Amino acid sequence: MEMANDVVPAPPTPTETLVPSRPSTFTAPAALVTGPLAPPTATRALANVLDELIDDVAEARAALLVSVDGFSIARNTSTSDEPAHSAMLAAAVGLGHQLAAMGGGDTLRQLVIEHDAGLIVVWPIGTSRVLAVLTSAQVEQRRLRAFVIDNVRDLVGAV
Amino acid sequence: MSEVFKILVTGPFAAGKTSLIQSVSQTKVVSTDVATSGDESGVKSHTTVAMDFGTYQLDGDDTRLLLFGTPGQARFRFMTNILKGDVDVVTFVVDAEATDTHAAAGVELRALLRDLRVPAVIAVNRCDDEIVAQRLARSLGSLDGESVVPCQLIDPDSGREVVVEVLLTLLASMESTTAEVA
Repeated sequence: MEMANDVVPAPPTPTETLVPSRPSTFTAPAALVTGPLAPPTATRALANVLDELIDDVAEARAALLVSVDGFSIARNTSTSDEPAHSAMLAAAVGLGHQLAAMGGGDTLRQLVIEHDAGLIVVWPIGTSRVLAVLTSAQVEQRRLRAFVIDNVRDLVGAV
Repeated sequence: MSEVFKILVTGPFAAGKTSLIQSVSQTKVVSTDVATSGDESGVKSHTTVAMDFGTYQLDGDDTRLLLFGTPGQARFRFMTNILKGDVDVVTFVVDAEATDTHAAAGVELRALLRDLRVPAVIAVNRCDDEIVAQRLARSLGSLDGESVVPCQLIDPDSGREVVVEVLLTLLASMESTTAEVA
């Protein structure tokens, strides 16, 4: 697990985790994924944002939104629901916060797992959610991060 | 004794594992507590998602316990698999009053000990009665000779009683090993 604050530019504000800064703009329903935090309509809307992410960011393959305590909230349409994946992401972010402290930081901004087939980029979203995007190694991380920042209000969710 | 020992603190969700480590650790606990959601939020407000880590050292002795606490939910079982390597003693925490967790806890306890082949201390939380604790431990599949400690893990003194039992178990294990070698 690599602490990677320097992989992509820091967000435009000095906030620790990504927090909403603009109103919601998405409406169309997409894949239905049940989770403990979001009612079905909200989950559909979240899945729609994740589908949009996969469509808009070249080399992004899958996107998952999970709760900080390890439950699936939403995923893009073509990604299957693996409960262990949600738990692993929550555990990684839990440790990431401690590793950030070990490094002298106050706040975890991003984790990047680099492996032989690509990247897994993980962000805390607000205080209760975690977003993970699976990509190839060629993904334009600046573009990916910009999409997440643009959509963070929707990803935080108002449920 | 002058060694470092690895203690795995495990057991069901909301049994008191984090409370135990926080009550006895002499160093700042590495904690991965987050807010719970869904049904679990009705049981408690926060839960461990990766691990707890604390330490305990005897006064005037170099013996040091490294306490590795696991999450309790089945979806985090992979963390137990990561943390269980080279464990010297398993401390299995169970909540005496959470009777709905006992059946699964027994299955988990026996499977873990079959796998690790190390001594166990069974800490029966929210229990003051030795006989009740022993009976519950037996119902979980506890074997003769495994240590059982009734405790109230919101009380640091009670947590220290569990640690004392861990130390005694370690000592007995070392003496047994020495006797086998001799």
